[in-house]
Amino acid sequence: MARVNDPELTKARLHLVVEEMYDRIVKGEPPTMTLPVRTKNNIGFDKKLGVYKYGKKRSTRDATSLGSAKNLLRALHVVEFIEEMIEAGKSSTLREMYYISESWGLGKFGSQNESNNLAEDLEVVTTCLREDFKLRPEEDGARMIGNVTIEELNRRGQWMTINARDDVGDSGYGVPYNVEVEKIRLKEHDVNFLMAIETGGMFDRLVENGFDEEYNCGLIHLKGQPARSTRRIMKRMNEEWDLPVIVFLDGDPWSFRIFASIAYGAIKTAHISEYLATPSASYLGITADDILAYDLPSDELSKKDIEALNAELSDPRFADGWWQEQINMMLEIGKKAEQQSLAKYGLDFVTDTYLPEKLGEMGLA
Amino acid sequence: MVIRVAGIADKMAKNQKQIAISEFFEKNKHFLGFDSLQRSIITAVKEAVDNSLDACEEARILPDIRVKISKIDSKKDILELQTEDNGPGIPQKSIEKVFGQLLFGSRFHAIRQSRGQQGIGITGVVMYSQLTTGKPTHVLSKIANDDTAVSVNIGLDTRKNKAVKSDQTRIIWENDDLTRKEHGLRVTTRMKAKYQRGRQSVFQYLRMTSIVNPHADIMFTDPDGETYHWPRVTERLPSKVDAIKPHPHGIELGQLQRMCRESSDSRMTVFLRQNFSGVSMRAAKELCEAAELEITVKPKSLKPDDVRALLEAFQGERVVNGKAIKLLSPPTNCLSPIEEMLIKKGLSKTIDSKFVSTMTRAPTVSHGNPFQVEVGLIFGEGMAADKHVEVLRFANRVPLMYQQGGCLLTKAIESVDWRQYGLEQAGGKGVPKGPAAILVHLASTNVQFTSEAKEALSDNEFVFEETRRAMLEMGRGLRKHLEKKKKMAKTREKFELINDILPAIAEKSASILERPVPDLAGSITKIMSAVICNETTTWNKETKQVDVSITLFNYTSRARSYSLLVNWPEKSGGEMVGNERGGRKEAMGIWGWKIETLEPGEKAVVEYSLSKLEKGDWTETEVFFRGSQDVIGATKLDEKMLVEIRKQEEVLNQSDAPSEESGESSEDSEEGVAYEPGLVEGSSGQTTLFGGEY
Repeated sequence: MARVNDPELTKARLHLVVEEMYDRIVKGEPPTMTLPVRTKNNIGFDKKLGVYKYGKKRSTRDATSLGSAKNLLRALHVVEFIEEMIEAGKSSTLREMYYISESWGLGKFGSQNESNNLAEDLEVVTTCLREDFKLRPEEDGARMIGNVTIEELNRRGQWMTINARDDVGDSGYGVPYNVEVEKIRLKEHDVNFLMAIETGGMFDRLVENGFDEEYNCGLIHLKGQPARSTRRIMKRMNEEWDLPVIVFLDGDPWSFRIFASIAYGAIKTAHISEYLATPSASYLGITADDILAYDLPSDELSKKDIEALNAELSDPRFADGWWQEQINMMLEIGKKAEQQSLAKYGLDFVTDTYLPEKLGEMGLA
Repeated sequence: MVIRVAGIADKMAKNQKQIAISEFFEKNKHFLGFDSLQRSIITAVKEAVDNSLDACEEARILPDIRVKISKIDSKKDILELQTEDNGPGIPQKSIEKVFGQLLFGSRFHAIRQSRGQQGIGITGVVMYSQLTTGKPTHVLSKIANDDTAVSVNIGLDTRKNKAVKSDQTRIIWENDDLTRKEHGLRVTTRMKAKYQRGRQSVFQYLRMTSIVNPHADIMFTDPDGETYHWPRVTERLPSKVDAIKPHPHGIELGQLQRMCRESSDSRMTVFLRQNFSGVSMRAAKELCEAAELEITVKPKSLKPDDVRALLEAFQGERVVNGKAIKLLSPPTNCLSPIEEMLIKKGLSKTIDSKFVSTMTRAPTVSHGNPFQVEVGLIFGEGMAADKHVEVLRFANRVPLMYQQGGCLLTKAIESVDWRQYGLEQAGGKGVPKGPAAILVHLASTNVQFTSEAKEALSDNEFVFEETRRAMLEMGRGLRKHLEKKKKMAKTREKFELINDILPAIAEKSASILERPVPDLAGSITKIMSAVICNETTTWNKETKQVDVSITLFNYTSRARSYSLLVNWPEKSGGEMVGNERGGRKEAMGIWGWKIETLEPGEKAVVEYSLSKLEKGDWTETEVFFRGSQDVIGATKLDEKMLVEIRKQEEVLNQSDAPSEESGESSEDSEEGVAYEPGLVEGSSGQTTLFGGEY
């Protein structure tokens, strides 16, 4: 799904938010801001796009309580700030915006969380991306290793060609925050699939064992819950190069959520799921089956784990039979296991035995 | 308890030669208060300070008390204690007796509320000092009539149990500013003791003492040289208390035996009427009849069985015509409560907080002993929210610092379900948690303790019930305060919203869209959609008055009209000044104004000041309204409540008169009907409708 960055359109959409407030005051009513409900109860599967999107439920934030009135005022300050950045051709991080708000008087943010949430609110209402707003996240993107060649626009405005196997060190290619076409071009590749890995330890293990070359694949380190740019670049490679995405995570309820955000879209970013989610991504492991089949060292599920699993049972993203089975099985055995528990059978077990077996089942090895 | 200690003193006097002081001390140190090094210094301070307060009170002097503790030898735990007061001083000839004899004094036959009930006296300190350091205690005393002060060392001859004076001279006693000290006493003594901090410490003892003695100015310097000052908050001395005679209901066999033995009366009726309170001529005759005693018999000649019979008649076990003998209640003017306003001041000076509620219950009687319960509750940000509330217990103005759990007063606090009043309490039992302190003071002619340590009050259903009732009343006041605070916070938020945030939204949205700033009136009415009352009660430093301002805003779309009413401390002597709106008195302590019709968006302001009050006396004004639409920040007036207040007022006015008469006639005990027993009992007239402020 290609996107076009049009500053005028962004501004016009932001003005709609401001107009809603202004018009209500003119009518003698409390000003309001209307936005989709952002909970799992309001996400549904969009058949056309193949991802989960927000449904029709809307909530109205109106200025009848001090908290939400302040929120509206902040939104106005943010709109003004974005317009200024668009005019000046600058961008800022969310954290910088939080500090800039110090000079907004009554509209200043109480915490960074508030400013992050408001940026998301505006994305949701305007259906723009925060990249359109010239706002950058703080977190860095993923690391990537494999025979993939990319062109990136550097600070001097020159396109650099980078091969993520030959032009990088052991830590790989660092994915920037903006991976849209104006910044990143996908040039060429010689891999059969992409493998997304949850932990740095496992990523480094596969790199050291030369797994990317042996199995001709690109390795991506997710760093836990993946940043937007990580999901976006996987999505682009999946779409533009038609590469399968295989996801290799710990075997616990939180990893299931990471997978759901990669494949179906995250609840928080369901407004832009079509840009971020890769519906064809498949979950390799660790599965509840694996814990039993490979007799992996495991930990008892905590109370929080059990709560999370139960919540997943009613999450529309996990509604299919395979997931229901996996979640129920994990609840039944009451255990979870880490990726690195495979080291029980030696350092090479994961690359020599586990992954080939699992990829074989998927028809990729 | 007094009797028991006196008994020991008697015994000591008889067996002077056999019992050495050290032995006496060793055997009884737990109830003398010298059982640990930590406690010894507290006991010593307590004896000295109690004496000073009692002496000042008797001499009608506002006490200035200075306490200083210094380390002399850390290895051997030797401390020096110096206490100084501005009391009447002790005449030279009496010094030996006061410091060198156990329990010397006249208070043992008199029944009244006094601090000294609770200790062995300053002699104990002299003894302890001598026994642990071998050193005498230095006394400097100046009475007003002498030009110079006596300086003398007091030791004890441990074999003869006698005070030994040495180095006696007369000197000129000068204050720090080189003026001459008019009168006062300074005691300097060394002892083996350990200074500690915390809940059981000299600091805490003095802090608590200052709360219940708001008329005292207390300064304390600890061993680290740190000085603490609790200033005097009132110039009013505690009212002078009269001694009363024992009441037949409260007497024990031993005491009765001694009274009979020591009596020189010629006949029983005279003896009964002159030595006991509450006994009329008729009752005296009936008591003799019940005890099968001739009224002409000499009390001195009673046999043990006769005394026992008399006691049984006292206690209603022996009857006449099938009825127990009717006795009058003992008088209650022998009690000296601290009084609500002063407790409030005392608490406020040691604990910085917003909400203080205090209450003095009417005096009442249990087993022939008059008693009176006073409580105070202070709540606010200054205190820890996650800890148990601080319990401050007092008996006759003396702090109780040990055995909190076993004390009747604590049990009464624990019996209240504080959760409904806004404090945390596991299972609705035990001492509650929260940023609060609870004070309980029992004033009584006969304070009963669980043990000789005199740190916990023993169970007594009447005292328990009085304390519990007072606690419930405090609790209701607290709940009201918290509810009001919550409401006020909400109202403040709304005002911030319409005064600051909304105009900013209008301006910013207009500037982004490059359109004119819209009018806000419509939005404001929709957002508030209420009538709001805003009250401020503040102390005005310059005028020394409490300024009260009440604003009523109509933020609805209709015209509204109301009457506003407020409570104010009329009873405590406050005067309303600068009340330009006029209005009228609706009841005792209740003032009302009729407010003109308010159009949508309009407001009305009521302003006045309260004079003749001191800072902290009045910090919150309760606003009531008459009118149909609800008012945020004010309470709808319950007309029944107003009627109730007026009724109470009448009762109080009526009850004031006879109690004054009775005060005068108490001297001549001819009729002995000086006290109306029904008056003090069950006087629920104290239950206030405004959360314990009255």
